[in-house]
Amino acid sequence: MGKTTLSAALAVTAARSGVRTLVVTIDPARRLATALGLKDLGSEPSPHKDEPNLWAAMLDASASWKAIAHRHAPADVADRLVDNPFFEAATQHFPASQSYASAEEMANYVETRAWDLVVIDTPPSAGGIEFFSAPAEMRDLVGGRLLRWLTGGALPGRRAIFTLTARPALRIAGAALGSDLFERVAEFLMDMRTMYDGLARRAVQMEQHFRQARTVVVTTADPAPLREAARFYRELPEMVPDPDSVVFNRVLPVTWYHPKPPTDGPLVENLARWGAEAHRQTEVRKEFAALWKTEVATVPWRPKTPTTLDDLAALIEAAAGLPLERLGVVPE
Amino acid sequence: MLERRLIIVTGKGGVGRSAVSAALALRAVHLGKRVLTVAMTDQTGLALHLGRERLDYEAREIRPGLHALAIHRPAALNEYLKVQLGVPKVTRMGPIARAFDALASTAPGIREVVTMGKVLWEVRREAWDLVIADGPPLGQIGSHLRAPQTVTELVPVGKVREQADWMIDLLADPSASTMLLVTLAEELPVTETQEALTWLQEHHVIGAPLVAANRILPALQATGKQIKEAGPGPVQEAASMHQTLHEEQQKWIAELPPDVQLPFLFGLLTPPEVAARLADVWGEE
Repeated sequence: MGKTTLSAALAVTAARSGVRTLVVTIDPARRLATALGLKDLGSEPSPHKDEPNLWAAMLDASASWKAIAHRHAPADVADRLVDNPFFEAATQHFPASQSYASAEEMANYVETRAWDLVVIDTPPSAGGIEFFSAPAEMRDLVGGRLLRWLTGGALPGRRAIFTLTARPALRIAGAALGSDLFERVAEFLMDMRTMYDGLARRAVQMEQHFRQARTVVVTTADPAPLREAARFYRELPEMVPDPDSVVFNRVLPVTWYHPKPPTDGPLVENLARWGAEAHRQTEVRKEFAALWKTEVATVPWRPKTPTTLDDLAALIEAAAGLPLERLGVVPE
Repeated sequence: MLERRLIIVTGKGGVGRSAVSAALALRAVHLGKRVLTVAMTDQTGLALHLGRERLDYEAREIRPGLHALAIHRPAALNEYLKVQLGVPKVTRMGPIARAFDALASTAPGIREVVTMGKVLWEVRREAWDLVIADGPPLGQIGSHLRAPQTVTELVPVGKVREQADWMIDLLADPSASTMLLVTLAEELPVTETQEALTWLQEHHVIGAPLVAANRILPALQATGKQIKEAGPGPVQEAASMHQTLHEEQQKWIAELPPDVQLPFLFGLLTPPEVAARLADVWGEE
């Protein structure tokens, strides 16, 4: 879809128009990472050697979660949590856990006020929409019915104990499986529970950031990415404003389309098939714009992936309909 | 490949995993096989390519010889507990069911074992000649394929362990199970496919995988001279675009190389039409 490339391109454009910009990416292609001056996963924000206003960082969800545990749980519990073999699995597998890590990093970066603009390339799961629901989901998971059932009411900052109904149920379930796996998981979840107050407070703050954020949805004219783009109109939590821009990537020139293309030699026939594709794209964009009552922006299809800062800036220059001022990419 | 009993189709998001799964299923049905297609993690993609709004957890007949189902996690967990672990019904309700749910989402491997378990269970039942799984995206394939091992490392004895053992054997049997990695001929999907191939070679969890490169352009039947002579304008623009894209694709194809190449389909096609066209191409290969 080009979400990572477009995030980088917006950041480069912003930096070049004098906006101090941080771009936080996830899994960029090697050449793009090199162009941004990134080396490894978990790269801390670092200034670009050739572009004074540009900073780049890469998300490492696993490292973020370790920091999150230390931030929200008492020190001894945090150490135990991080060392627990379930911790890695749980923080990778809880629904929205990568998105939560990404949202928490976003809040941390925004709050330092070191940058005028922070561009977040959201994790791909659930088409990026999960990023906005992750804080609430994580709060509900750690403070949710299941954990309340296991441990009873919340004890701020203290580790709870099994409730009277939970222990026999765990025993029976364990017997059915033939192992004590259950009780080990339950012990672990009770440690997680101590993070509830911290997570709940943080979730509120993150949602405040969402309210003030600008959202750009990147899609192509293909059915699967379009379905995911539509979710931003159907499923976005209430506190998040509608997307500020829907960007269609890999757009072909409309001038290539001819309703009755001549068939005269391979080159003209080649234009006819690309013209048909360009026409399909146009129709899809119109339909999307009408259905969701939105303006759409377009980024032309470049046969070669942009790999330098100049390529990235050129991509935004060739784009049409991007509200660069509203996005804060260009100063008003 | 269609002689195996299980094909798991995977690939980076957006490469056409569901379309290829549906095409493969159509091709196998055409060859007279009884086929089951399973949507493992993405509920809608496979359904749309089979011309359905959605798929149920119960296998339904799509057309003669072709059945399809989608794995819904609560139903899969319930079936895993009942059929595979033999947990009595009373334990699958109320507080104990909730405890199982907590276990499934927290203990490493359990969630994936429930999903993989359903697929492998369908293979084992022998109601089908071939099971085609529209699998998890490439990034989750390792944790799914290794899930039974992860569970055996966690649970040394008991029923969970016994179930994991036959899953490991069935997956690793090269005459029964294989994988199809779908990719585009572009940097990021090719790099991730290569990483996955290396991982698969090191872990021996499943029979030798195959690679399909999707949306490949044919060579342009024209010389550089002809393109130049066309003069500025759309004809020339489309020609040089096609040529540059084709060259880029060939460069990434040479890096792999793929076992199968599937064509770029121009213009307006519905998802079932895409699946049907790809199935025809598969027949010609």
